[in-house]
Amino acid sequence: MSPEQTSLLQGTLDLLILKSLVSGEMHGLGISRRVQQITGGTFVVKPGSLFPALHRMDEEGWISSFWGDSENNRRAKYYRLTKAGTKQLEVETRRWSRISWAIAQALEAS
Amino acid sequence: MPLFVKARSFLRNLFLSRGVEAELDREVHSHLELLIAENIRAGMTPREAERAARVELGGIEQVKEDVREQQMGNWLRSVFSDCRYGLRQLRKNLGATAVMVFTLALAIGATTAIFSVVYGVLLRPLPYAGANRIMAVFEVTSTGRPSRLADPNFDDFRDQNRSFQAVAKYADGVVSVSGASEPTRTTVAAVTPDFLKVFGVQPILGRDFSAGDAKKGAERTVLVSYGYWRQHLGTTQDFSESHLKIDGAVYSVIGVLPLGFRFPADVDLWLPADLDGENPSRTSHNYSAVGRLREGVTVQQANMDISTIARRIHDASSEQGDYLLKDGMVVPLQDSITGNARSALLVLLGAVGFLLLVACANVANLLLAQASVRERELAIRSALGAARGRLVRQFLTESLLLSLAGGGLGVLGALGGVVGLVRLAPENLPRLESVSISIPVLVFAFLLSTAVAAGLGAFTAARATSGDPRKGLGEGGRGQAGSQGSQRVGRVIVAAQIAITLVLVVGAGLFGRSLMKVLEVNPGFRVDKIIAMDVSLPWVEDPKAKAGEAAFFLNLMDRLKQIPGVRQVGAASALPMDGGLPDGMFLLMTQEEVPKTPDDFGALLKQKERIGEADFCVATDGYFQVLGIPLIRGRIFDRRDGANAPHVAVISESLARDRWPKQDPIGHTIEFGNMDGDLRLLTIVGIVGDTHENGLELPPRPTVYVNLFQRPRPAITVTMLSDADAGSVSSAARGILQDLDPEIPTRFRTLSEVFSASLGSRRFNVILIGFFGLTALLLATAGVFGVMAYSVSRRTREIGVRVALGADSGDVLRMILGQGLRTIFAGVAMGIIGSLALTRTVETLLFGVTATDPLTFGGVTVLLIAVALLACYVPARRATKVDPLVALRYE
Repeated sequence: MSPEQTSLLQGTLDLLILKSLVSGEMHGLGISRRVQQITGGTFVVKPGSLFPALHRMDEEGWISSFWGDSENNRRAKYYRLTKAGTKQLEVETRRWSRISWAIAQALEAS
Repeated sequence: MPLFVKARSFLRNLFLSRGVEAELDREVHSHLELLIAENIRAGMTPREAERAARVELGGIEQVKEDVREQQMGNWLRSVFSDCRYGLRQLRKNLGATAVMVFTLALAIGATTAIFSVVYGVLLRPLPYAGANRIMAVFEVTSTGRPSRLADPNFDDFRDQNRSFQAVAKYADGVVSVSGASEPTRTTVAAVTPDFLKVFGVQPILGRDFSAGDAKKGAERTVLVSYGYWRQHLGTTQDFSESHLKIDGAVYSVIGVLPLGFRFPADVDLWLPADLDGENPSRTSHNYSAVGRLREGVTVQQANMDISTIARRIHDASSEQGDYLLKDGMVVPLQDSITGNARSALLVLLGAVGFLLLVACANVANLLLAQASVRERELAIRSALGAARGRLVRQFLTESLLLSLAGGGLGVLGALGGVVGLVRLAPENLPRLESVSISIPVLVFAFLLSTAVAAGLGAFTAARATSGDPRKGLGEGGRGQAGSQGSQRVGRVIVAAQIAITLVLVVGAGLFGRSLMKVLEVNPGFRVDKIIAMDVSLPWVEDPKAKAGEAAFFLNLMDRLKQIPGVRQVGAASALPMDGGLPDGMFLLMTQEEVPKTPDDFGALLKQKERIGEADFCVATDGYFQVLGIPLIRGRIFDRRDGANAPHVAVISESLARDRWPKQDPIGHTIEFGNMDGDLRLLTIVGIVGDTHENGLELPPRPTVYVNLFQRPRPAITVTMLSDADAGSVSSAARGILQDLDPEIPTRFRTLSEVFSASLGSRRFNVILIGFFGLTALLLATAGVFGVMAYSVSRRTREIGVRVALGADSGDVLRMILGQGLRTIFAGVAMGIIGSLALTRTVETLLFGVTATDPLTFGGVTVLLIAVALLACYVPARRATKVDPLVALRYE
């Protein structure tokens, strides 16, 4: 793990998982790797945070799950975005944009 | 939609938990395999790949637990598992569990039972619509006490107030009623027309009083209670033919009141007041008053309103003197009904609360002992990743199970206890009929159990999880070091327990000593072997018929004397200790000074030196002999005192002493006609001993006795001194009365019943607080015993070493007893300080002892130390029997 990896900010994990599922259904490890990839390796999601988050979001109805075969023919549980999840992603995205804009403003002000 | 998904997840987690669990397991394992595969692809050997994967995953069980924490309904499931686990724990120590449940059941049951009385009497709203707006209205006397109302004053209150929607006055009494069935002694109330409007009650049948029914000379009408209607009128729907003969006059029934409406207590018939006109005096206080506040008017506003009117009356009235009102007062009816019972009931509630604390202390100690055995288990659980909160919750769950079981059992016990309490309760405790295990009482019991559980659980959890889990693991199975701390806590609990018990037993002692002191008071009359027979003739106005009353009673008493076993017969207007006699002001005057006009009377009443104040009792000479009231000087009534002879009076010793301090009252004449309307002067002919007319706890009342044969009255109580059994004398007497006039109702009691009822509330308090004190004492003894026995068993090895090193059994005994004594003394010291502070609050309920009575304090302290030492001695003896060889092998 590189020292640049940052611990996930509260609330960002959901956003990142939703975002990574936009490109299609994925199993847990896939999501974890995808998050790592799209954040340029800044965020690494460990199973201890990933699975609870997945189950929570499943129960919220943002994602749904099914069992499928992995690329090398192993059974794995796959997740996909639901309609509610897509909406949630929009909400989270807007919220996050506002926060990051606000933080950027704050930092620019001297 | 999301709500639906959530609900589905919740139910699935709850009911299909096995499937959810299995899927989770598969998912985590597949993740692990994917990780391994990834690592192998990256070029690791299978072993390296697996190890790296496991490191990244970070513990399969922990990941699963993290997910479970997130799952909806997880808390509920974990509560179930806590309960299952808790039940298993409780079953494992079945003996201790039974003791704890029983202890809690006893304490929660007792508290619930007492609370049901407190709730029923003090808290439960009166059963009327808008009951909180119903007020009692009083005049306030010159001494600042609330009193009943005089007719013109009531009229002014009614007409001038701006606070009340309706105001009514009422007066109740027992009269003879016939016409419906056999003659009965029935409680009736004379009321003004708005009476039912005050209570928001309407007849279920017929009509309410109208203003016309109350006019002077109107046709006599009566409303009957539901019970009376059913019992005596055969639930007739048409009462055009229903007439009742009440006190000699005929009344038409006009309506039936709803079931349960009986105000004032025990009334069956309501009649319009003042059909013969009002009493114009502003100083004759004959009526109580109630009113319903207008919407939005507060008690304070009503109070000021009435007070203003009252002071205006005071300033304007031509009548003056101590008997004229000085002020007016408004009190919520509920408070005015329960006023006297309040302090005693709250003391009982406090006492039972103490008992509850003592019981909880015992349970806490038992739980603590168990927790220290479980230290190892807790250490393992927290090492495996159980959060502290989770362990605390486990303890809370266990204590909740315990106290709910105890509470449930306790409520069952309270169901029986309440019946017993109501039976034991003094007759004068108001609203006893509304005492029951009702919904609010059950809610109280539940909340109480929960509070007990929270307290016990939090306490044991705090104790048990405060240590370092590693220590628990390191101790090799026999937690000795850790238990040192919990033993110290156990001793603190026991000391507190002793302290609370001491307070309770001191309280019981003070109440017990008060009762003894009350019983030491000489009532001034004989109590045993006296049968009392209430007789009331119909009321007549005609003075000639009054002579007939005297003749009737003379005849009756002559015949009663013939009953075998009856030695003496007398009669008086009321029995002592049975509600009191009327009191009033009399005037010292001679025949020459008798005024010609009422105004001259007023002038005489202003001369303080002429005024005396006394109870007024109508009696026969036999009354003094039957009750054994001694003649001090002069004579009592005899044959000379016929109806036309000069009227005579006998006065009580205290009246003679206080009113005629340096004179002989015999031969003086007084005017006391305001009591019975006969204005003939009374010549004092004798002085008799004082009686505690209003109860042993109150000083004797100054009393003026007049002769029944000179001042006849329709209602008297005949007293018979009899060696024969009360039952047979009563039935013989009943036969004689029926022979004379079958229309006259009667009632029999023995004077000892009346006497004993007058001690009812005090006995009630003594029995209950005594019971609580005794129970607390037993519990505290068990607590001391438990803690000492536990301590000895924990110290077996140490004692063995000491014995092996040469300590003899005396040394061991001293060591153990010394340890116990320190605890006991600490508790006793705290208890004495607590008692000194707390007994002050019950000072007004004591009699003849001070709140700091040294005898009680000393006795209770000695008793408590002795009992506690005995409880220590048994385990201490066992400690001396420790065989060093066995003890050292004990590990």
